[in-house]
Order: sequence, then structure tokens, then C-alpha cells
Amino acid sequence: MGGLNRRSPDALIFLIFLVFLASLTSAWKKDEFRSCRQTPFCKRARGRAPNSLPSFSVADVSLSDGAVSARLVPAPTLRQVTDDDPSAADGDDASSRSLLLRLSVYRGGILRLEIDEDPSSAPTTKRRFRLPDVLLPNLDDRRLWLSRLSPDGASATSFYLADGFEGVLRHDPFQIVVRRAGSGGEPVLSLNSHGLFDFEQLRAKKDDENWEENFRSHTDSRPNGPQSISFDVSFHGADFVYGIPEHASTSLSLRPTRGPGVDESEPYRLFNLDVFEYLHDSPFGIYGSIPFMLSHGTRSTSGFFWLNAAEMQIDVLAPGWDDPAAPNAGRVDTFWMSEAGVVDAFFFVGPGPKDVLRQYASVTGTQAMPQEFAVAYHQCRWNYRDEEDVAAVDAGFDEHDIPYDVLWLDIDHADGKRYFTWDRVLFPHPEEMQNKLAAKGRHMVTIVDPHIKRDDSFYLHKEATEKGYYVKDASGKDFDGWCWPGSSSYPDMLNPEIREWWAEKFSLKEYVGSTPSLYIWNDMNEPSVFNGPEVTMPRDAIHMGGVEHRELHNAYGYYFHMATSNGLFKRGNGKDRPFVLSRAIFAGSQRYGAIWTGDNSADWDHLRVSVPMILNLGLAGMSFSGADVGGFFGNPENDLLVRWYQLGAYYPFFRAHAHHDTKRREPWLFGEHNTALMREAIHTRYSLLPYYYTLFREAAVTGIPVMRPLWLEFPSDKETYDNGEAFLVGSSLLVHGIYEKDQKSASVYLPSGASWYNLRNGVKFDGGVSHKLAVSEDSIPSFQRAGTIIPRKDRFRRSSTQMVNDPYTLVIALNGSLAAEGELYIDDGKSYDFEQGAYIHRRFIFTDRKLTSIDIRPSNVGDKKFSTDCTVERIILLGLPSGAKKAVVEPGNHETNIELGPLTLRRASPPVALTIRKPNVRVTDDWSLRIL
Amino acid sequence: MRTHRIRVSIAISCFCLLWVGGFTSLPPRELLGIAPQDEGYYKSDVIKCKDGSKKFTKQQLNDEFCDCPDGTDEPGTSACPEGEFYCRNAGHIPRTIFSSRVNDGVCDCCDGSDEYNGKSNCPNTCWEAGKSAREKLKKKIATHQDGLAIRKQELEKAKQAFAEDEAELLKLKNEEKILKGLVEKLREHKERIEKAEEEERLRKEKEEKKQREAERKSTEQNRPSEESAQYQSEGTQDTPMEMNSQDSVEIGHEPVVPPENEYNSRIEIPAVHNVGQKQVADNIGESITSGHGSDDVNNEIPSGHAADQEHISGNTEGLSREELGRLVASRWTGEHAEERTNEPNDANGEQEEQNQDFSDSAEEENYDSYNSDNDEDRHKFDDDDIQDVAAEEYGNHVEPDGSYDHDKDYKSEFPGSPSWLDKIKQTVQNIIQAFSFFKSPVDLSVASRVKKEYDDASSKLSKIQSRISGLSEKLKHDFGKEKDFYSFYDRCFENKQNKYIYKVCPFKKASQVEGHSSTQLGRWENFDESYRVMQFSNGDRCWNGPDRSLKVRLRCGLKDDLADVDEPSRCEYVAILSTPIICLEEKLKELQQKLEDMNKRQPSTHDEL
Repeated sequence: MGGLNRRSPDALIFLIFLVFLASLTSAWKKDEFRSCRQTPFCKRARGRAPNSLPSFSVADVSLSDGAVSARLVPAPTLRQVTDDDPSAADGDDASSRSLLLRLSVYRGGILRLEIDEDPSSAPTTKRRFRLPDVLLPNLDDRRLWLSRLSPDGASATSFYLADGFEGVLRHDPFQIVVRRAGSGGEPVLSLNSHGLFDFEQLRAKKDDENWEENFRSHTDSRPNGPQSISFDVSFHGADFVYGIPEHASTSLSLRPTRGPGVDESEPYRLFNLDVFEYLHDSPFGIYGSIPFMLSHGTRSTSGFFWLNAAEMQIDVLAPGWDDPAAPNAGRVDTFWMSEAGVVDAFFFVGPGPKDVLRQYASVTGTQAMPQEFAVAYHQCRWNYRDEEDVAAVDAGFDEHDIPYDVLWLDIDHADGKRYFTWDRVLFPHPEEMQNKLAAKGRHMVTIVDPHIKRDDSFYLHKEATEKGYYVKDASGKDFDGWCWPGSSSYPDMLNPEIREWWAEKFSLKEYVGSTPSLYIWNDMNEPSVFNGPEVTMPRDAIHMGGVEHRELHNAYGYYFHMATSNGLFKRGNGKDRPFVLSRAIFAGSQRYGAIWTGDNSADWDHLRVSVPMILNLGLAGMSFSGADVGGFFGNPENDLLVRWYQLGAYYPFFRAHAHHDTKRREPWLFGEHNTALMREAIHTRYSLLPYYYTLFREAAVTGIPVMRPLWLEFPSDKETYDNGEAFLVGSSLLVHGIYEKDQKSASVYLPSGASWYNLRNGVKFDGGVSHKLAVSEDSIPSFQRAGTIIPRKDRFRRSSTQMVNDPYTLVIALNGSLAAEGELYIDDGKSYDFEQGAYIHRRFIFTDRKLTSIDIRPSNVGDKKFSTDCTVERIILLGLPSGAKKAVVEPGNHETNIELGPLTLRRASPPVALTIRKPNVRVTDDWSLRIL
Repeated sequence: MRTHRIRVSIAISCFCLLWVGGFTSLPPRELLGIAPQDEGYYKSDVIKCKDGSKKFTKQQLNDEFCDCPDGTDEPGTSACPEGEFYCRNAGHIPRTIFSSRVNDGVCDCCDGSDEYNGKSNCPNTCWEAGKSAREKLKKKIATHQDGLAIRKQELEKAKQAFAEDEAELLKLKNEEKILKGLVEKLREHKERIEKAEEEERLRKEKEEKKQREAERKSTEQNRPSEESAQYQSEGTQDTPMEMNSQDSVEIGHEPVVPPENEYNSRIEIPAVHNVGQKQVADNIGESITSGHGSDDVNNEIPSGHAADQEHISGNTEGLSREELGRLVASRWTGEHAEERTNEPNDANGEQEEQNQDFSDSAEEENYDSYNSDNDEDRHKFDDDDIQDVAAEEYGNHVEPDGSYDHDKDYKSEFPGSPSWLDKIKQTVQNIIQAFSFFKSPVDLSVASRVKKEYDDASSKLSKIQSRISGLSEKLKHDFGKEKDFYSFYDRCFENKQNKYIYKVCPFKKASQVEGHSSTQLGRWENFDESYRVMQFSNGDRCWNGPDRSLKVRLRCGLKDDLADVDEPSRCEYVAILSTPIICLEEKLKELQQKLEDMNKRQPSTHDEL
């Protein structure tokens, strides 16, 4: 190049300055996303004062089909003129039509409320959208048949809900209350107790009306006009509310968004969006939306779930929001607004935190049981460029003795971003490449996004076009948006037929170059549309049956995830558990795989925010989640990267990932010392895999998340309620992140009611106290709760798959009465045979100086058996008074030695704990071991 | 830790051979995974952990329970995560592997000794593997041997060249000194002549003035007609385009009708520059009007780049759907939104071409084929181009690539013998003599001769000086202990990969050339890793990334050959340069030793015939 070198230096300097400036400015594009104020339904709903609307009253209450049904009759008062609905004031029929209400009760303390328009008096043919395929198909089997309604005072009807709980329908104004049984029973949850219920009914468009909405250069035609719904929900007896992911927040609880003391007032937004460089602390909508909120307080835990996939905005109202003179105590009020859909809401009565989670899981399902490899460490980067690169990274792990299980390929592996294809220049032998990894027990993941390149020579596009499988735009043509491949279209995943078609694409035959060790990553499924409004699909795009995109937007990614997961299920003939990572989520996504928190940044704040994010995802059913270790954007400093590995090793989903502009980040690139620290962090995860896998089993059965906020296990310890810095893995392991550079000490609160053993040195700490602990660079604070037993595997391999035959270590942390308990779940790690009983489930009980292993697998779970030769090679005892020298194992009556040993088998770890050498009992067997 | 430095006593190697004979059977437990040189350590009944942390009994050796966290007690099992396992690999090279590999189902040792639990079948492949390894090693040794010979020649040449250059520098400095004196003398004379001429001119002017004064009345009436002639000539200029070309022609022709003969030679050069500058101005003017429109000039000049910034950081209203899509995508990719736009009327593209055209002409290179080469990919380095400009502005790119050869030009002009200097000396002497009878008015022939000699001598002086500075610049580099890399100074190595040509010029710079655009991958930094790596850093800035850099790893080879250019991390390039220069004696000996060791360990059953 020669060129413009005679340009004036001033212009040049200015130019350099511009480039510099651009690289510094925050990339967060606030203006590109709608605020509540720019969203008419939100602005309008939010502008209302409590009890200012004409109310609905309840009429014709009856029992039908075992459920309560009634009509909601609008008060005859004229509706107020609103910006959006100027004609409503003149007695339009929309405001005088009554709504249909139905209340049904499900086993386990669940009340369901449905409110929809009355089809018999509908003025248009359009029906409001009810989201299918999210509720568990067998939910109706668990419905209780109500046989009796009781009058409750003069104007209310009450009915049985669960033992100790009842539902109350107040007639005028309409209100739903869930309360403890008895007329004086304390309320637990209530809806419309502040009179904010509003329901914009569909109506015919008047000639002079314009329903269009404009945002920036985009126009939303809104052919069906205003149809929003809003209402207030109160959580009684609550100190805090949690859930409604996905938001980036440094706070574990949901902070108030409106009312006294709230400065920046935006509601929590649930609208799936691909937000470039999202902020670490904002109520703004990001990739996923789970409209499930739960509350917790000393007196009560309860939950509320609104099944609705349209844009939702939720205010958490600060005490005194309605009446600053009399701030409510012991109650959290919330205000829910949605652009479309119906009311299909679930009240969960608790009373304990885990009860609420189980109740929610019984409606939307539990975490799909992952393959064991997926619980191990994943290595990702945008992009591992070619087969040589893959081979070199793979070899790098071996060379540095760092285990990993999955190598990921991002968008550039495909031929021109045509997913299901390979760039054959870079990846001429994909099968061979996968097989080489598989030979070491490793797997590969490729990305498959929903945007399909509009290229007539691309088979997928051709087929989808011919079959009419794409989402349509408002004019009825295939929607054409811009994404990675350029001009793209999006399959209509709402349609089950299209999902089946999509699933077939993952067969080994159709996905050329795939092998059975290949799994899938679904990104950009919000869906991300680069040139769409708010970087997503226009709300007036059309899905199956004339459903508008606005009505199901938040579930598009869910359906896509579902279809992909089903594809892998079919590929393995139902014998291989799918692994599909998704970025977009909705309620129920847990049934289809793992999710991650999207494009975070390599800074300390994003490290910190990962914990409250993952905890809230877990509370909302998504057990299998994690944040990109190291941060997607930017280059982490060495210490940040190390800290991230140390924390990420405890995420349920543990994957390192990086943007293609960042420096290479494989764990051995930062000097021998840092390599050792990262290796150790990864080893920590691998040694805990048996414990994690057992917890995933628990999550799959009960819905209790793997990674838990402290209050879930210590519900009466108020100190824990808003602790977003520490978390529990299962019920036995407490981890406290280090979120600051050069942090020399950490204040770690250990919950009350238990003692805690530091896992580095075995030192015992009291619970109920905040301990100031010195922090070293080699680990983050982690503790085992007294009274628990954690199973580990302390030998390391290249991958988790290679560890199957390795022996176990049991770490027993004794409580004050020298007792402890723990569980171990094992199956084949990949198939569904466990559904026919092919698994081992043991409970280890230590009491009276005797450890017993008992079988807790129910005998009626099936005929298939799983067996393993694995033994227990070492038992570490924390908290046993020293002096013990020997133990006797039964059956067999053989003696084994007890000596002082280290807590972990790493170099220079001091012998601090009594260790039983080589009991060599098989994990499948019943046995006991007596300390002499 | 995993060194292969093994001293094999005769006794042990005998043992080895015996042991290898029965490789399919398991070695005794207490020998598993222990290196021969370590066997002594495990002889006693109570053995210390190597880290001193503990003692263990012989029964605890390889008993599948980790007693020493450093792995001393479990060399043959996977029980200690930090342990290591030694494979004898008779017939091949012994190897130490991580204990995590023991019985993991993967055959890591070619003798299969790491998989002994019966779960996987690992055949002994050491003989085959060893054979090919030995072949490879032999080849490598041969390369090193031949390379070493070439290296020696090269070193000789380098040494000689270095000595020559040093001598030349010394000589030049000497000449410079003499020449400086001569030029100074000539300058004095020239100034005196000029002064005299000036006086002469003033005198003449005075006379003429008087004369004109006298003739004034008769000349006054002619003026109006002259002016109208001038207007007419301006009126012949038609379109603006033509005006440009005509302008430059006129300026270019100016010297043909010089106002004053005396400045003839001085005017000619700037006149050429004027053409260039005029074109710059025109191009800038056009780029302003053909750019996005009303934006400010500074935004527009950098081939649309600043305009991208504008879009990325702010307003996206008014973009087409496609532009918006590209723009948003570009946030993640860091690429330009316009990058892949292939519209023929793309304003930025046009503007860039013009700039490009200009730059080409400025470098006096013929790029007729430019437009046909202009494919979309070229745009990829838009931002880099700007950086190039920045670099050039500060003198980094000043030399066109061919200029590394300027030695040649210099030498043809200044042949080895110093007779030219004597000649000048003589001439100056003559002139000085001639001036001893200096008188006024100036003898025109003498005056022009003095001026010519002065011009010649000072141009020679400046050439010598530039040669001196070139040589000093060269000699101050670190060329290795034996000036090993001296010959690299004036050389560039190229490697073509797809559409890119990578060009590495040691001690200078490295660049990636694509068609007519070049991206600087780095400026010479230094040698690293004791002359095994050449570092180039501070190359053109990467969008959203670091400044480009290149690390060239040197490898022994018979020819200088640049290969395997790669970009493992964004804008951090690596390459391999084979060269005989680093075929070192020590390395050869090391390889020969290795081969010897391998041959020693061949099992008796597989004698090489």
C-alpha cells in the first residue's frame, strides 16, 4: 500500500482518535431497545394507580368438570380514555363483554387460573393465543376433582387447594386469594388485591383507527390491535422475590423497580433478545424468559407462574408504592403486564422453598438427565478454525494433563454458515476428526442456528421453501431477515410437523459428516435477526394458524431447542440422551438440555453477576446452566481468568468460550503457574463429577437445582436471603466466589445450624457467622457442610468417559453428634436404561462410628440392572476425634488401616484428615465399616 | 521432568533385552512404571516419598493407593494424579507419561505397558514406530549435516560481508570528511560568484530602469491587448475533468519556458510534486462529494471507515434493511458493515478506488490491472489501509519494497576505486587556482563551472552520507554470535497462501500482501529464544484486536524457505522459516546421540539387517 500518505496530519490524528474512541465506548445500544415508556401497553399499564380502573366482578360461579368456573363482568362504569384506545370511552362492546374464568386445582398445592375472552360473544375471528407444548402432557392426570364450593362470607367462594391451604374467589371486585385454611387463615398469594387487573379484549378496527406502532425505522402493523393484559400479584409473608430470569443482576433477589427509593424505573422485561455486550446489572430483557417468580420470607415461600410467551414486563413494587404513608411490611407486591395472550397462571403454595420448586417442576417438568460427559468440562472458542487447530487444542490438553470432554465448533465450521454442512477446506474429514476425539472419550459439539441461508442451492433452504416451512412476514411471504449467513429465513418451530422435519435433519444420514459423538449447540434462537426491530423478528410475523410472532416470541427458542433435542433423541433411536445447548429459553426449556448466559464480557463484574444469574435460572427450573468461563468479549487478565475457572468449575454447565477477536485462551497459554491453577480448578470439577451427577439425578427427579441459593437449604436463616456471592452445590458444598482483583481476604457467611469444613485444610468453622478469611490465589473458599458425605473420584483422566472404572473417594464431614449422610447415583451415563431401573443409588450413613451403604433404589422401578466393579479406595473422615487406627469391613470382616492423609491428592497437600486406606468395597454392594 | 537423558549401564541394558523378550507378560508389580535409572531408589524396604513428605513400605509400592501426593509410591498405577509412568518402549524411545494415562483404555506407550488391566489390547508397535522414528531422525540428521556445511559457508560469507561493510563504512567516513571540506570550499566560491553576479545584475537593472524610464511613453499604449490575450487562453478550458489534466500538463511544461534560466533545475522537481498534490486535492474533493453526503470532511476522508464508526456507535436510522443487518452483525464480528457489500455503485468503494489509484500513481507504479483485481475480498483490509497511511505518514513504510537493493545503485555510481575523489580534488584545486585571479565582471564559463562542480560534489556528498547512514543502520543490528544472520539483512522471504503473499524481511518488517494492498504484520523487534525466533511487532492495528505481530520460528533446513504462516489468535501470526543458518553443531550432536541411544535399545529379536 502506498496511498493517502500526503493527507494532512490533523485529519489523520482525528481518524486515529475516532478509531480509538470507538473501541472504548460502551457497545450497549440502549436506544435500540424499547423502554417501557416506548412500549405503549407497558407505559399505559404502568401509569395506572391502584384501584383506579373500573373493576370486574364475578358472576355465575359454579363447579364444572371438577373446576371452578365463573364469568368476569366488567363494571358498567365507562372505561377511561387511553392513548392507545381512544374509542374505548364510547361504550365499545369490548369493555362491556364479560370474560370467562376457570380455577382448577392440581395435586401438591397448585392452583391454576385461566381467564380468556368468551368466544360466544367475540367480535372477531381472531382467538387469543394459548401457548401449547409447555405444560407437561400428563398435568391433567394430576388435577383434583373439586366437588364442593363453600361460601366465604357474603361475597366470596372458597374451595380446597391442598392440606392446610384453600383458594378463595372474591366476587366484587374480583380477586383471587390463596391462603392457609380457615376463614382467618393468613393469605399466601393474591391476585388483583390492588385492583390493577386489566384485559384489553379483541375488537373490530374502526375506520379512523390506526393500530400501527413505530419504533425507530420499524413499523409493527398490529393487525389485531391492543390486547394486553395486566394485573397485580402479592406475595404475602415474603421478604424477597426471586426468579423471572433471564436478567443480569448482581443481586440474588429481585430489587424493586418502582416505588419509593427507586431511581431508575424500568420494569423487569421478559423479551428474548440478542443484546450485544449486555450490561452486568440491568432489568433489561436478554436471551431468555421464564415468567416464574417465587417469594421467600421467614413465614412463607410461594410461587407464581404465568404461562404466556408474549412480551412481559414485571414491576417489583417497593414497600409504600401504593401508599407511601403506610408501607406494606411482610409482603411483596408485583405488577405483571403482557402484550397479548391469555391469563393462564399457576399459584404455588409451598410452604417450603423446595415445595415450591417441586410444584413448579410438576407443571413445566424437571431438568432432563444429561449424559455424564456433558457435566464435565467443555472447551469452546469462536472459532476453532480447522482440523489442525482442533487437533492442536486437543493435543494441548493431553500435553498439559488437563482433562476436557467436549470440543466445540462455532459458526465458521459450516460452509458459509449453512448449518449441517462443513467448510470442506477447513474440515475435509469431519468424521475422522470426531472419531479421533471419541477414541479418547471426548465429544464434539457443532452449532446449528435457526436462521437458514436463503440460497437456492442449499438443500435445507430449498426444502423449507418448497414445503412452506418458514415463518411468514406480515404480507404472507417467507420472512427474510439478516443474520450470520446474510439473508435468512426461520423455520416455524411452533408447527409440530416442522419440528419433526427439523428433527430428521440430525440423523447421521442427513447430517453429512456427523457421527454419534457429535452433539449440538443452538445459538441465536431468540430469534436474533440483525435487521429486525430490537435485533429480533418483527412482532407481526406470522406462524402456524395465523399466530402472530408477538404472541409466542419468548417461546420461539424453546420450540427450536425442543425440535433439535428431539432430533438427537431420534438419531440415537431413543437410546442416547441428547445434549443441546440453547441460548434462548422459556419455561420448560429444562426438559431439552442446557443453557448458558450468553455473550458476557471478560470483566470482574460479569464474573460476579454469573452467580445470581445461574441461581435464579436454577430456581426457575433451569438446573443445567452456566456462564462462559473467561467472558466471551474481551481479554481477561490472568488472575480474572484463573478466578473464573475456579468459580466456573462449580457451575452446573462448565464451558470456556471466547470471541474470535480475543487472544487465545486455552488454559496453558498463561505461564506454567497459571496453567497449574487452571488445571487444578478443572481437576476439582472432575473429582466432584460423581457428586454432580448425583445432583443432576436429584434435579431430574425433583426439580431442585444443582446449584442453589443458600436460603433454599437454610430457609429460616435471614442472613442468606439476599446472598448472591456464595452458593451451595447440592446441600453439602458451599462455594464463595472471589470477584475482585487482588482480593486478599473474603468475608464468607456460613449458614447457621451447621458447622462447615474448609475443603483446603479441613479446618472447621461455625455456622451463623461471617468469617473473614484470607484468600490465596490457588483456590476460592469452599466448604463441606458438617453432617454430609460427598462422593468423589480423585484419579484424573483425559475425559470423564475414561473415569468410569476408577474407584471412589468418600469425604465424610461429621456433625456434632458424629453423624453424616450422603448419596451416590450411578448409571451408564448415556442411555435411558435408568428409566427401567438400570442404575445404582446408594445412601451412605455414618453414625455410631459406623459407615453403612444402603440401597435406596426402589425395587419397583424396572427390571434392568446396572452394574459396575468400581470400589471405594479411600474414605476421608473430617471431625472424628483422632485415635482411630483401624476399621473393620463387613461382610468379610477384613481390617483396614486408618492413617492421617491429605484432603486432596495434590502435591504438598498436608496430611490433615483421618483416612481409611483401601476399604475396597464395591459401590454396588451393601456393606458396613466400623471404626475401631 | 520428562527428560530422555538416560545413561544405560551395560548391566541394565542386558536386563532390558531379556525383559523385552517377554514383553507380552506383565512385569512384576514393583517394577511397573519405574525408569531403569530409578530402580535403585526403590530397592530398600522402606522408601521415602521424593518430596520428603512421607515414607512407605515396599508393599505400598504400586498398590493402587496413593501415599505420596507427588506419586513416588505409585509409578505404575493411576492412583496418584501427579505421578508419572515410565514406558521402556524397547525398539523405540523410552517415554514418561502422566499416570492419568495408565489403564485408561488408550495405548500411549508403543510397548503397550501402560494398559495392563486386561480391558484393552495394546500390541507392541515399538519396532515399527521406532523404525519410522529412526528414519525420520536419520533424515533430520542428514539435513543437519548438510545444513551445517552450508551454514559454515554462509558464515564465512557473512563474516566477509560484515568486514567489508565495516571497512567500507570507515572508508566512507573518511571520504565524507574530505568531500565535506571540498564542498565547503566550492560553496564559498560559489557564493562569491553569486554575490558578484547579483551585483552585476543590480547594476544592469539600474541601467535598464533608466532606459525604460526613457522609453515609458512609447510602451504604455500596448498593454490592453496583452491582457485580452490572457483571457482568451483561460477560456479554452472546458470541463473540470479536462481542466485537471490540462493543469497538470501546463505545470509539467512550465520549465520549458522558464522565467529565469538560473532556477531551471530547481523548479523542475517541485513541479512534479505539484502534480501529485493537485491530484490529492482533487481526489479529496471528489471523495467528499461522492461519500455519504453531508457528513463532515474528516469523517469522509478515511475511506468510509469513520463513517462506519458513526453507524456502529450511533444512529442506524435511514439504513436499508440489509445495511442494518450487516451493521448489527458487524458488532459481533468487528468487520465492516459495508465489507461484504458488493454493489457497483457503493460510494465508499468508489472513493477508495480513487484514493487507491492516486496512491498507486504516487508510487509511480503501473496498476493498469487494478480495477479488474478489485474483488470484494480486498475490502477486508480497509481499516488496515488507513493504518498503513498512518504508519507511512510517520516514515515507516517509506521505502518501496525494491529499495532494499539500493546498494547496487550506489555501487555502480561509486565504483570501488577512489579515483573519483581524486578527480574532484583535482578539479577543486583547479577552480581555486582559477579564482585566485578572480575579478569582476564574472567570467561566465568559470562561474557555471564552479556551480556545476558544487552541485556535483554536494550531491555526491549527500549520496555518501546516505550510504553511511544506511550502513550504520545495518551494522548496529544484532546478527547473532557469529554474525550468523548477516545475509538476511537485505533479503525478504515469501510464502504464498491462497490469495495472500506473506513477506518477511528480517531486520525490517513483515507484511501480508493481497493484490495491491499490503498489511503490515509487524516491524522488526528482535531475535528471541536464543536466535530461534524472529519477532515482528507493532504491525497494523487490528479492528477490535491487538496490533498485528508475527513470530517466525527458525528451523534447520537446506534452503531458506518460509512456510506454515498461521494466525492462531486474532492478528497474532506465526510462521516457520527453514534455513541452514541454524543447523547447529550442538543440535546435530544431540540428534546423533539420540539415534545412537535408539539403536542401542533395539531388541535383540529385531536386528537391523
